[in-house]
Amino acid sequence: MRLLLVEDHVPLADELLAGLKAQGYAVDWLADGRDAVYQGRSEPYDLIILDLGLPGLPGLEVLSQWRAAALATPVLILTARDSWAERIEGLKAGADDYLSKPFHPEELYLRIQALLRRSHGQANQPTLQAAGLHLDEGRQCVMRDGAEVQLTAAEFRLLRYFMLHPEQILSKSHLAEHLYDGETERDSNVLEVHVNHLRRKLGRSVIETRRGQGYRFGASPS
Amino acid sequence: MRSIQRRLSLGLISVMVIVGLVLAQTSLWLFEMGLQRYLESGLRNDSENLLVALVRGPGGVQLDEQRLSPAYQRPFSGHYFRIDFSDNHWRSRSLWDQELPQLPQAGLQGNLQLGPEGQQLLILRSDYKRFGQAISISVAQDYTPVRESFRLMRQVGLVLGMAALLLILLLQRVTVRRALRPLETAREQIAQLQQGQRSQLDTQVPVELEPLVAQINHLLAHTEDSLKRSRNALGNLGHALKTPLAVLLSVASSEQLKDQPQLAKLLREQLQQVQQRLNRELNRARLAGETLPGALFDCDSELPGLLATLNMIHGEHLDLSYQVRPGLQLPWDREDLLELLGNLLDNACKWADAEVRVSIDEAPHSFQLRVEDDGPGIPEAQRSQVFSRGTRLDEQTDGHGLGLGIVRDIVEVWGGTLQLHESEFGGLKVLIELPRRQG
Repeated sequence: MRLLLVEDHVPLADELLAGLKAQGYAVDWLADGRDAVYQGRSEPYDLIILDLGLPGLPGLEVLSQWRAAALATPVLILTARDSWAERIEGLKAGADDYLSKPFHPEELYLRIQALLRRSHGQANQPTLQAAGLHLDEGRQCVMRDGAEVQLTAAEFRLLRYFMLHPEQILSKSHLAEHLYDGETERDSNVLEVHVNHLRRKLGRSVIETRRGQGYRFGASPS
Repeated sequence: MRSIQRRLSLGLISVMVIVGLVLAQTSLWLFEMGLQRYLESGLRNDSENLLVALVRGPGGVQLDEQRLSPAYQRPFSGHYFRIDFSDNHWRSRSLWDQELPQLPQAGLQGNLQLGPEGQQLLILRSDYKRFGQAISISVAQDYTPVRESFRLMRQVGLVLGMAALLLILLLQRVTVRRALRPLETAREQIAQLQQGQRSQLDTQVPVELEPLVAQINHLLAHTEDSLKRSRNALGNLGHALKTPLAVLLSVASSEQLKDQPQLAKLLREQLQQVQQRLNRELNRARLAGETLPGALFDCDSELPGLLATLNMIHGEHLDLSYQVRPGLQLPWDREDLLELLGNLLDNACKWADAEVRVSIDEAPHSFQLRVEDDGPGIPEAQRSQVFSRGTRLDEQTDGHGLGLGIVRDIVEVWGGTLQLHESEFGGLKVLIELPRRQG
């Protein structure tokens, strides 16, 4: 999952970046509203966390420009302005959720989880479920037939992305774009290694390789 | 405060009555004086005729009957005379058995009663010397008819004066009402202002009212402007304080403090207190409260947005609905009401299983706001605790104490009442009654 964090308060951004990376998200950070308008539209983010008090361009204006350009990425607004009048304005500008400062980091992680599941048509349950697997995002482990399987951070990130996109063909470059932030060097061999690790832990049939197209998760065994 | 209309009428009546009476009395007096002077010249003429009629006859001085006016012969004709010599006096036949008194000195005197008919006489005494002796001739004339017509004139004048007074009062009433119409319009507009049906007074008013209306409009604009500015400043302050607070909260629950659970707990608790206090005070400071609303709360346009926002926050599984008469506007500040309903509904959504309903009813003197949910509700014994400061019935669900605290603040500022009941859906029903502003 690749997120964009737009927040101009550097200490908070540092905290959030560290926290979100620990949660297995690839995060890009911007502090200026004008940069955010451009990058939000050009990079394939899965979710955007947007502060409203931004230099350059107000957050609500940034959001309106994204929505006017038909950008459908879910946006979570993060703001100290928490009156109901302002929340309604945020919704009208096209926000998908609203979290007011200050907040507990866990609250933010839960909201991000819920928003990601909602945007992929998944029910909001304690665990993420697909193809008979139950992924516990808090503990970063997976349950299969009642048995708990431990995952490395990289495996967790990959599996979560697969489980949010079950039965879809995902190319290696698509996966790389959504699993790594803009600064990480993308090596498709690393991806292959992680896919193989997942197959070893969860069974070969869980991820199918479509030659020349990419991977497909959770396809019913034919 | 007495009305200007009544004050003007009262003043006008007293002035008119005083001036009218003085004027009528003076003109009557002047008229009577003029008439007496006219009658006096007639009497002087008569007395000179009598003097001429005195002739020296065989038996001394005698009156030439031929030269006398016949009115002196007819009894009580209204014309009388008396001629005094040094030793005796003559009187006219018209006096019959009455005596015409002699005035103590020459001159005119009125208001002398005489005869069975009570005639009012005007007497003139003139002294002459003729035939070597002093002769005093008194001539009298009855001016009762003149007085009668005088009285009639006075009565007619009184009736006419009263009629004129009534007419003037009526006209004055009409004029005053017309002149005061802009004031009445301004009064109505101020009432509308109180009701929130307008945000400015009409500036098309007479010159006299212009400064007043301009000043009120200026004050209204100023209030709205300063409210906007202070809300903005509070927003900035909140932003400046809450962002670092978010950093601290994040640090308090981060890996770096894993080894110091005591310290982490202390930090979290203290930060929580700061956050609660900050939120409550900032929210309270944002209230417009009693000031006249710049923007009204239009239910049809605000409620769907509010419910959609709540659905977004709490999930689409909740069925949020509202029951409001179409076109209903609440005469309070839009942001205050959004805050009130937002917090109530937010709380209801946290507890509800599937359904939350808000309904607003109008009564003649108040508005009733009801927010109901189908959640577990609150046992009657615990309801009074909900609104006491800092109490949170369920520590798990954030904001029960806080959100309802600001609700209580708002309701108190507006002089309303707040009650908790059991809803027909099974959950909690919050009933708020807000009295209308007095226009």
